[in-house]
Amino acid sequence: MSVNSFADELRARSDEAIAALFEVRPDLLSPVPTDLSALSARANSTPSLMRALESLNKFQLEILTSACVLTEPFSKAELLSVSTPEAGDELVRLWAAALVYKDGTKFRLPGNLRHLIGDEPAGLGPQSSKKIDFKALKDIPADSAAVLERLTWGPPRGQVGNIKSPGKAIGWLLENSFLTVMDSKTVVLPREVGMHLRAGKVYKEYSPEAKNFSGTNRKQKDVDRAAIANISNFLRWCEELSHNWSDEPPVALRSGGLGIRDLKRSADHLGVDENCVAFVAEVLYLGGLIVVDTDDQILPTNSFDIWMSRSLEERWSSLVSLWLETSRVSGLVGKIGEKNIAPLGPELDRAGIASMRKITLSTLAQNLELDPEIKTLQEIIAWQMPQRFNAEYIEWTLREAEWLGLTGQGALSQFGQAFLSGSEDLGVELALPKPVDHILIQADNSAIAPGPLTVELANMIGTIADIESRGGASVYRFSESSIRRGLDHGQTGEQIKDFLKKTSKTPVPQPLEYLINDVAKRHGRLRVGSAQSYVRCEDEGLVTQILHDKKLESLRFRKLAPQVLVCDVEPGDLIATLREASYLPAAENASGILISAPAIRRAKSRPRPPRVLSESQAPSEIIIKAAVRTLRTGEKASSHKPREVPRTTANETLDLLHQYIEEQASLTIGYADTNGGVSNRLIDPISISLGTLIARDHATGEMQSFRIPRITGVSPAK
Amino acid sequence: MTDGPLIVQSDKTLLLDIDHPLSDECRRSIASFAELEKSPEHIHTYRLTPLGLWNARAAGHDAEQVVDILLKYSRFAVPHALLVDVAETMSRYGRLRLEAHPVHGLVLVSHDPAVLKEVTRGKKVAPMLGLQLDDETIVVHPGQRGFLKQALLKLGWPAEDFAGYVDGEHHEIDLVQDGWSIRKYQELAAEGFWHGGSGVVVLPCGAGKTIVGAAAMAHAKATTLILVTNTIAARQWRDELLKRTTLHEDEIGEYSGSKKEIRPVTIATYQVMTTRKQGVYAHLDLFDAIDWGLIIYDEVHLLPAPIFRFTADIQSRRRLGLTATLVREDGMEGEVFSLIGPKRFDVPWKEIEAQGYIAPADCIEVRVNLTEDERLNYATAEPEDRYRFCSTTATKRKVAMALARQHSEEQVLIIGQYIDQLDALSEELGVPLIKGDTPIKERERLFDLYRKGEIKCLVVSKVANFSIDLPDATIAIQVSGTFGSRQEEAQRLGRILRPKADGRTARFYSIVARDTVDQDFAQNRQRFLAEQGYAYGIIDADDVLSANPD
Repeated sequence: MSVNSFADELRARSDEAIAALFEVRPDLLSPVPTDLSALSARANSTPSLMRALESLNKFQLEILTSACVLTEPFSKAELLSVSTPEAGDELVRLWAAALVYKDGTKFRLPGNLRHLIGDEPAGLGPQSSKKIDFKALKDIPADSAAVLERLTWGPPRGQVGNIKSPGKAIGWLLENSFLTVMDSKTVVLPREVGMHLRAGKVYKEYSPEAKNFSGTNRKQKDVDRAAIANISNFLRWCEELSHNWSDEPPVALRSGGLGIRDLKRSADHLGVDENCVAFVAEVLYLGGLIVVDTDDQILPTNSFDIWMSRSLEERWSSLVSLWLETSRVSGLVGKIGEKNIAPLGPELDRAGIASMRKITLSTLAQNLELDPEIKTLQEIIAWQMPQRFNAEYIEWTLREAEWLGLTGQGALSQFGQAFLSGSEDLGVELALPKPVDHILIQADNSAIAPGPLTVELANMIGTIADIESRGGASVYRFSESSIRRGLDHGQTGEQIKDFLKKTSKTPVPQPLEYLINDVAKRHGRLRVGSAQSYVRCEDEGLVTQILHDKKLESLRFRKLAPQVLVCDVEPGDLIATLREASYLPAAENASGILISAPAIRRAKSRPRPPRVLSESQAPSEIIIKAAVRTLRTGEKASSHKPREVPRTTANETLDLLHQYIEEQASLTIGYADTNGGVSNRLIDPISISLGTLIARDHATGEMQSFRIPRITGVSPAK
Repeated sequence: MTDGPLIVQSDKTLLLDIDHPLSDECRRSIASFAELEKSPEHIHTYRLTPLGLWNARAAGHDAEQVVDILLKYSRFAVPHALLVDVAETMSRYGRLRLEAHPVHGLVLVSHDPAVLKEVTRGKKVAPMLGLQLDDETIVVHPGQRGFLKQALLKLGWPAEDFAGYVDGEHHEIDLVQDGWSIRKYQELAAEGFWHGGSGVVVLPCGAGKTIVGAAAMAHAKATTLILVTNTIAARQWRDELLKRTTLHEDEIGEYSGSKKEIRPVTIATYQVMTTRKQGVYAHLDLFDAIDWGLIIYDEVHLLPAPIFRFTADIQSRRRLGLTATLVREDGMEGEVFSLIGPKRFDVPWKEIEAQGYIAPADCIEVRVNLTEDERLNYATAEPEDRYRFCSTTATKRKVAMALARQHSEEQVLIIGQYIDQLDALSEELGVPLIKGDTPIKERERLFDLYRKGEIKCLVVSKVANFSIDLPDATIAIQVSGTFGSRQEEAQRLGRILRPKADGRTARFYSIVARDTVDQDFAQNRQRFLAEQGYAYGIIDADDVLSANPD
């Protein structure tokens, strides 16, 4: 059996070769396999092979696919003849990755690989069972030749109206076995014919090398300048968005994530497009700087305040490194088909985006001072990882790298380079404009901070003024409502004026001072509070008496006016307590009318009458039928000896299952349920994929999937 | 990073630090493509708009120059996206051209077939276009020249107009420079206009716009239609033209509410042009009455919307717009650009300053506390009556009178919106009142007395002060009147407040009722005036009253 010989071959490899295998396929290491047969089983497993295929570049994949066309075992010379003479080196690499293995001087493929490559490698059809005489091609009719031409480079299948009267062109080809019949409507070009027409090569062209990088030239100085503008913009967005959400927290959608309306509002607020806001929100979310709170409000966390206390460079690099690693793709945000994908929602995870980002950036790192031409860059990366390639991911990565300031004018900046090389000092702090510690106040009640403000200043001004324009500088505007907000935050008019006098380089204009005084004078003149109940009495003496009554101290009365007391006790309790203290209170309703009779008490909860226990009802027909079927199956299963399916090892199980799938025979398996109880199932196995056996269960008559690790043993059905 | 005077914001505003040593140089450079939005004492704000950039393009600046200027003076790194946007916007101007074709008449030409395709797909544009002659040329239906330019601008592809102009009926006009001479910049402005064909000349108030108009007429030597804001302006134009040019009295006609003369040079008011009789514009024929060679629009920023519609029809005539600012309250800057033409000339800021554009006037807001009764009445008033109520209170009147007495030695104007209030003031102060229904003769008589100093104080209604040319005053007291448009406010201030010969600063008082809607309007006024660089202060009415005990 092939698996065994694969294991044997691995066994025969040197320690270095095994180590090299682990290096190129690290997933084989976790967990460390117990022995070499376990290693071979894992190396031949679908998930591991899929990962291995994903790591191949286009050329390697072409060579491996070409190998799939050959009958095993095949020699190196055979492979070179159907592919290209340059394939030799790649064959060595494929061997090292255990994607081919040696059988004497020849090579074989791990058993599951062909499944993954597919039944029609490189668009070649199945092998023909008939002998084909290629000499007949000399006399091929023109329209038959046209059909062949269309099928040559795949896909090899073609549709016909009715196979019984296929028409002249196809009829001739079928007659001469250049086509074979697949089903009543499909014909297929046999592999031999395909290879013949392709002149013995599997692919028309092989691509041993990636395309050359091309792009617009940029000067590193300009790139860095642009990048630093991007970085300061990005940090400002993060800060601004968090502050904005702290003021007006958006509420998460029921399905998770940020609603379109909030997204638009935030985009307006920052003055950027929605994609950009979605991106900023996602990055903040990654950093734990914002979170969906328990009441579904999206709010900044304490980590945001900690983040804000760090240096600008740290702030930036912490977010960039999270972005580089994350599997969340903010570029997906928006409407995709009928569905709307929300930022911060559950649908943004995609495998492979992180490696795509890394490879994109490293490609830029190899081509400094160039703003890449997107098409070529996509082609280069498509060559490097054809299996995982996604053109949009690259576009998004470039866009996001620019937002982050890893790039400037499209080319990798000095800061991006420093970040990617893991350098300690990225130089961002030095390049960013120095924070300023003053503002300029003008007579039109606006204040201008001619640079980024220090955090404390920005916070203070943010509470007493509204921001009007953003960028390198900020323009704030003072208004009645903004000053009021400052007062609400606990500042006094004097404090605000002192602060402005201290921070403003220009004298505080008289109208502004007037405005602050005016608002401060009016602020808090009206007071609002809450009280549970009140006592009112026209006799002020009585009110004073109650207020000072020792017996009523527990009620903690407050005097609001000479005739009114309030306290935080329910009116009912208040009345009772007053009566105990031998006063004679009466209750009144909201409009001051006496309530003469005490209210009849009623429960606050909704009525919940008890359930009626009924006699047992006759079971429905469906339930009865199901019960009978279960009984019959149980019967059948028990008649199929052995009652207990013999235990088989995992490898045996897999082998046996494959064998039964091929033979299309029924079998009995022992299957452990989630509680560990083993039951016997009588099944028709159909296929195995991703650790799961798909089979028809005789008990239910339905297709069902069985997790292979849970199968305790396999035995024939009879 | 340089340490420049300019901060480029991501919302496309430019902040200019005017205390910076390079600020003058920078201001001159950016004026060609950015619009000055406000100019308070320390930081001036400019804005980059597509129109501003296209104006710069029309004046021969290219995107590279603009980007260079931004980079040169910018204090911080300029967002790349903004620079790309500038270049992109500027490259849109001139990709489409309107030209005269020897056979097909007016054609739309572009060397960029994709752009041509894009605009011909436009729903509004398509009906104006006819046969496509080749990849680059499409016939334009006759009479659509103006409308097409308007529509193309809306699509973001402003067309450059090379289709030329009719000469109009010849009429000999020359400048007569005896005892005066045309200033250099006026000459440049007229030349800039003449070479550009049509367009707008931006000159600050008092910089001699009439002379530029006269110089343009001397270039054209053709019959001219001049559209002005009001009758007084019409007479001023006539006087100037008589003084500065070879034109005689009988060559100049006035076409206004009272007179309907059509002469080789005709001066018409906006009002008469937009008068409708039974829903039809009654005086439209004026545009075709003579084969005009030149049409001059005075105060383009105030041009009423219907005039644009007429203007669209006369695109083959040369058009000159004169204004102090391109900013329009109604946002119709695009119409000015497409129908009258791009900016052809503007005077450097230095000149504006020398002309005293920022008048050294003090603006003082007097806050009045309403009495308790007044407050109660105000609180219970219907929303639509509230403004009238709070702005005509007795308390206000007292303060106004106190102020008038305080400045009894100076030329004082009291301005208000509500006639009852003005009547009362005029009666109590014993000074004449000019309102909407005061006959022109009477007005001119009173103004004359006022100018001579025989009357020290005048009460004028808003209607009156809007439609006539007020004489100079040193003190203005506004008792009521909403903050209207910015233009209105600026014009009023600019006209009435001139510094006294002895250097005393003019004062503009506005009396405002505290904690009412009046105060909200005052806030807008404060913001606008401060943005224009006026000094602004607030005082309490009690201070005024205690200084003037009766």
